[in-house]
Amino acid sequence: MKNRTKLGTLGLSVVTLGALVAGCGTAPTTNTATNTASNGTSGTQNTTGTVDLSKASGTVVWAASPIAQTGIRNTLIGDFEKAHPNIKIQLVDLPSNTDTNRQSLATEIEGGATTPDVYMGDVIWPAQFGQSQLAVPLNKYLPSSFFTRFASGLVQGASYKGNVYAAPFYVDSGFLYYRKDLLQKAGLQPPQSWEQVVSDAQTLQKKGLVQYGFVWQGASYEGLTCDFMEYLTDAGGQVLNSQGQPTIDSPQALKAVNFMKSLITSGISPRAEVTFQEAQSMNVFDQGNAAFLRNWDYAWSNSQNPADSKVVGKVGVEPLPTFGGPDGHGTIGGWDLYVNPHTKNLNASLEFINWMTGVQAQKILATKYSEIPTNATVQNDPQVKKVNPVLNIVSQVKLVSRPSQTPNYPQVSQAIYTNVNQALSGGTSVSAALKKAQQQIQSAVSGNGGL
Amino acid sequence: MTPQTDAAPTNQRGKVRNKRQSLQAPERRAGYGMLTPSLLVIGAVTLFPILYSMWMSLNHISLTVNGFSMNFAGLQNYSLVIHSETFWHSVWFTFYFAVVTVFLELFLGMLIALAINGIDRLKNVSVVIMLIPWSLITVVSAQMWGYIYNGVYGVLNYLLQSLHLIGAPVTWLGTGTSAVMAMMVADIWKTTPFVVIIILAGLQMVPRDLYESAYLDGANAWHVFWSVTFPMVRGSIALAGLFRILQAFGMFDLPYVLTQGGPGTATESLSILGDRVMFQNLDFGPGSAVAVCTVILVLALSLVFLSAFRNLVREGESE
Repeated sequence: MKNRTKLGTLGLSVVTLGALVAGCGTAPTTNTATNTASNGTSGTQNTTGTVDLSKASGTVVWAASPIAQTGIRNTLIGDFEKAHPNIKIQLVDLPSNTDTNRQSLATEIEGGATTPDVYMGDVIWPAQFGQSQLAVPLNKYLPSSFFTRFASGLVQGASYKGNVYAAPFYVDSGFLYYRKDLLQKAGLQPPQSWEQVVSDAQTLQKKGLVQYGFVWQGASYEGLTCDFMEYLTDAGGQVLNSQGQPTIDSPQALKAVNFMKSLITSGISPRAEVTFQEAQSMNVFDQGNAAFLRNWDYAWSNSQNPADSKVVGKVGVEPLPTFGGPDGHGTIGGWDLYVNPHTKNLNASLEFINWMTGVQAQKILATKYSEIPTNATVQNDPQVKKVNPVLNIVSQVKLVSRPSQTPNYPQVSQAIYTNVNQALSGGTSVSAALKKAQQQIQSAVSGNGGL
Repeated sequence: MTPQTDAAPTNQRGKVRNKRQSLQAPERRAGYGMLTPSLLVIGAVTLFPILYSMWMSLNHISLTVNGFSMNFAGLQNYSLVIHSETFWHSVWFTFYFAVVTVFLELFLGMLIALAINGIDRLKNVSVVIMLIPWSLITVVSAQMWGYIYNGVYGVLNYLLQSLHLIGAPVTWLGTGTSAVMAMMVADIWKTTPFVVIIILAGLQMVPRDLYESAYLDGANAWHVFWSVTFPMVRGSIALAGLFRILQAFGMFDLPYVLTQGGPGTATESLSILGDRVMFQNLDFGPGSAVAVCTVILVLALSLVFLSAFRNLVREGESE
């Protein structure tokens, strides 16, 4: 035991032989370590498990990746500090790739870092982060009335085993963006089914109006899982059944991936589709080289920014269609606010979260940056809806979650996106890819580390 | 043999040696004393993490607010690793990549070193120009290659299309085979200069008079290369090869930036796999097992190469 404590306090261990990466941060394994989440705040903690936020003060370090455009974070911080003269917010920039984010946050916090106090994390992290105790269970400190402000389903998405590990900050969902001008030229209406997307795209390409029909996210990364979930749910399939067992090797999944692959083989989507993340697909669309784009809600404000976009004023947006009809499924994305369990300033951190999910901050997110607010009051505000066209149609979208209720979700998602990507790139047949995904998810949910 | 001992009479040779040893003993002790601090530092930053990783690989690890909570698991993590198709695919890819790139780098490196060694003017300028790829940070050069290979606006497609070598743009990083090849090209481009420098240093050690006498004996350039140059730089080639193999086995930054291991898992090197299991999936037990297996593989390979290296140098000396 003595040895182990010593090992633990020595801290970081990184194997470097050649450039071999094999490191991890460690914190003391005994209870002598300061458990700030529970001990550090015992003075202000009352018996009902809630804290008094009105007297919070100090500095809160907030780690967040750029939201839509970088300016938004500083706008929010400025307004927060104006309302809270005793609290200073220090922004730490995180990379925009969600997996890189997770890596740096998880290693820092696991290593016992007391900052960042609050971090912005993906909506798919609560189970993994809750399981690994990388986030404070907010329900232990905030009254249940705090959670009623959120639109329905969101708190459940941030929960794991009865605890709420994050406060929903803003929501993303997949939408179909289309070129109004091109459809008009060809005398077409916005498509009402996936089949119509295909035929309209082909028509526009044949007429020489546009180079590519439809661009989306096909690279081997989390975004492909999001796109796949939409087609899979449209086809009536599931990744995991209600018992948590994989059901991805199914005719429905076959239909979904075959459709995705046919988009590429028929030339509607470029061959480079299998390397596209959000930015690449958005770039092709904004440069005027594609008729349709599947992307998140922030793509709206990007397409309307003359600095980056050649299609300002020519873009329409509608809910993603389904097979044989309109109103298909859109994957829920978005970001939550988490609190570091080692924070030295829990009260100010909670107050920051309280404000960021309140009406004022959420209105800024929704009106200036076309994000979908998580605050139900703001989501239903007619004034907000007027400014943000995406919000007008969000109620028509059938939202679908990724199977992130399992702490092994990263492995499940890897099994999906690596195999689907392989099938799309022609490296393997669709049915073989789904079989392999099924096997890998099977061993992932039994906890094998994704090997 | 030093001239000193050669000069000593045969019957005194043993004595001289003993005397030298006893004279050096205090110095040697002082030497060890001075080495100790740095050995301790090296031990702390290399040995400790390696041993700790080994310990981690023998445990089930869950993360808690207070750090790792470990439960001894014996060899369960290793069993998981050894039975994993993904792991063996990574081993195969890493090995294949290392062997092909190192072989080509040694070949090209030799040619370039010979060319540079053969010119009289602008030798230093050529060396500096050639070193540019090596001096670039891999993350930066990999990003650059990413733009070159891009399937929509990549320069490579543009050039090949202008030359009518391809009809439609190719997604170089989009299929397994072409992604592996593209990555090999990027690696060879970047690390050949390293090989050139080492071989060039070897070439400059070859005495000029050896060439002169060889030509006087009527040897042609081809003969001179195989009988004079090659045996003399054999050691340098082996050294460069050893370094490169070790580096190639730890390859991380190039696939991390260029392909993230994709398409599928086609370019997932052992380091990328270890990183994914540990830091994406937060499975530190199996992740450590992957790391330890990699270390064992690399150690075994280096032992093989080291002995081959020694033989090569010995052969070179005897000729």
